[in-house]
Amino acid sequence: MAFYKFDEDDLFLNTVQTYPQNKFYIQSGTVYINNFPNLAGQNTANHIGVPAGFVSLYEYNIDRPAGNNIYPFLIKNGMKDGFKTISQTEYNSTKYGDTIVSSYNMSASIDRIIASATSNSASIKALENTFNHYSYLSPHYQYSSSLGDKANQTINLITIPSIFYGSSIKKGTVNLKYYITGTLIGELSDYRENGDLVQVGPVGSTGSGSVAGVVLYNEGFVALTGSWELDSTTIKYDPAAAQTSKWIYYGFGVHDAASVALTTLSASYSLEFSGSNQFQTMTMLAHAKYGELNHSTNPTFVSSSDSLSVSTGSYQYIEQAKEIRNIVSSSFTDEEPKFEKTTYLSKVGIYDKDKNLIGIAKMATPVRKTEADQYTFKLKLDI
Amino acid sequence: MANFYKTLNQTNDIVNTRTLLHEAIPLTGTIVSGTYGVENIKNYSHGMFQSVYDYPYLSSSANHIFDITAGYANNSGLSASANNQNSKKINIYNQMAQVMMGYDQTGSILQFDEDGDLLAGGTKQKENIFLNFSRLLVKDEIKKGSFELEIGVTPEYAQNGTVFGDRIKLADLSGSDGYLVNSPVGEYGILYATQSAGTNVMAAIGSGHSTPVGLLFYQAGVAVITGSIFLEVASGGILNNAHNNVSMSGPSSTEETVLAVLTGSQISGAADNIRTRIYNLQFNNTVELNSTVYFCRANHNEFNYSSNPTYLSGSKIRVKTQTTDVPVSYITTIGLYSDNNELMAVSKLSEPLKKTPDNEFTIRVRLDY
Repeated sequence: MAFYKFDEDDLFLNTVQTYPQNKFYIQSGTVYINNFPNLAGQNTANHIGVPAGFVSLYEYNIDRPAGNNIYPFLIKNGMKDGFKTISQTEYNSTKYGDTIVSSYNMSASIDRIIASATSNSASIKALENTFNHYSYLSPHYQYSSSLGDKANQTINLITIPSIFYGSSIKKGTVNLKYYITGTLIGELSDYRENGDLVQVGPVGSTGSGSVAGVVLYNEGFVALTGSWELDSTTIKYDPAAAQTSKWIYYGFGVHDAASVALTTLSASYSLEFSGSNQFQTMTMLAHAKYGELNHSTNPTFVSSSDSLSVSTGSYQYIEQAKEIRNIVSSSFTDEEPKFEKTTYLSKVGIYDKDKNLIGIAKMATPVRKTEADQYTFKLKLDI
Repeated sequence: MANFYKTLNQTNDIVNTRTLLHEAIPLTGTIVSGTYGVENIKNYSHGMFQSVYDYPYLSSSANHIFDITAGYANNSGLSASANNQNSKKINIYNQMAQVMMGYDQTGSILQFDEDGDLLAGGTKQKENIFLNFSRLLVKDEIKKGSFELEIGVTPEYAQNGTVFGDRIKLADLSGSDGYLVNSPVGEYGILYATQSAGTNVMAAIGSGHSTPVGLLFYQAGVAVITGSIFLEVASGGILNNAHNNVSMSGPSSTEETVLAVLTGSQISGAADNIRTRIYNLQFNNTVELNSTVYFCRANHNEFNYSSNPTYLSGSKIRVKTQTTDVPVSYITTIGLYSDNNELMAVSKLSEPLKKTPDNEFTIRVRLDY
């Protein structure tokens, strides 16, 4: 085994930008993520072990019966390690050496908050600075202006967990569609890439060209304020009285505790966007040059007829020379081919400066190397 | 944001710690054989091993649990060229042995040793079942002393669950304090068998724990189990002679012993037979979390002012209306900087801390990696 040092031309750090696409389809209070059906398992209502319409963080515990789940635990010690789900009181009441248990199947999905001056106003008030911060992009972000006062408006706030988009939602990719009995009655797009959700469809519809809300790209919110009538069909969005469809009713029934009455079944919604995420990769070029790496310490490298033979004395320990096995193939069975030092490269080990093995790259199949060959292996490490 | 640099004391302010996080991994026999029939069992055209998933493997939701295979040494009494997949079974054994046990000074592959004492020689395990657990489940390593594999050893063969009337439990009873380190792939412990259900299932045991029946490689996540767990003492196994050999299913008969299965069946067939005898399988894994804790100290006379623009009103400090007023600031964020004052990390407080000359804080910033 030989050690080589990477020089500056052998190491590259790159950033890869990804745009994961997401699509949510909502009908009668049920969410379908990326058109994936919510399959029932043999032991659970949804086979991935989280409520229908949610993603599972680790995707552990697939269709596990109750009481048979994988769960994390740790032993309480002096380092104050615990789980976020364990309260401070509960943690303090645990003795040192006791086991602290948590649970898996952490889930996430979009949610919907209806905020107005009289209900859930804190949810909007908490975003006041954020809204105002983005007002340089569009005046529609302003918390209070001639375009509306968000403190007193009815706002349909769609929340999107960051597991779906990464670091931010990609500008220009947000698209919302509103259907009644399968017919498109409204479509919003942020095609201006300034956060405005502009009604772009159907062509000629009421409110077409108007801004019905804004997107908070970095925070994962869609705030809808459009209250014009999209369709004259009355649906019981409000338990007290049937309403016509408006953007403030978009996504009705999405994990918002609203009871989905039979009359609201005809409404369905789709939400599409792309996330934006970056990750770093390190590329390493490992060179196997001419005339190098042509010897192996593998026991099979020497002829099997050579056993270990040593001569020892008071002041010496001498191993006898061994014959390297000739593995050059021959076209003739009765003729020994000309010897050529040949090795098969199967792994590349990455070592730190103290020669600790910190990574191994394995070839799919070993690469044959003679003294006349040279190779460069390209190793990629996601970091 | 206001920036005040304060150098951390390498001795007193920075502490490296290590946390061991565990997961309990229960795998009941119904997952391994039963719930999904063979939909979660994947066989390959090469026929060298069988993969077990926790859900039908054609689903993207399925997780790989473990691979199961079997093999014997070329000097085993079972080895014969007429055997089904004879060379593959020998290759499997050799491959596992050379990776797990390594070579001796002559370059020969060391065989699996019953007690792990290679220098003393002793009994070698030449006919083995191999369970290679998925890295998803093993993580850094199997937690020592936590492995349990319960196997049904009712002599009669059936596929209706009645093979679990008599059971033995394989566990690394010596795991927490008696593991071995003479393997190229890390630490390993000895699996001991004890009777867990039924009467007079196992032969009488002498002193010590119980009967050694295999090895468990903690970091590699591999269990090596001798085939003799299905045999009576008279046949070289561990079961009571009155209990008889365990009948496994096979291609020619449903009354075959494990020896007949290892020789006459393909590896996938042997894996099927062994898999349907698994009653329960569970272990805990371990993940090592390394942390560095930075103790960031704000003394009474530090961090009481801010250069935040909102700190001033009309060129006067907003919080000081009289000369006798003490300064006040609110700490919201701590930045960790390199030697060259490059911002490396930011930690945020859940709520701002009010800082005056009357109080001092030590804020514990933990960086996990």
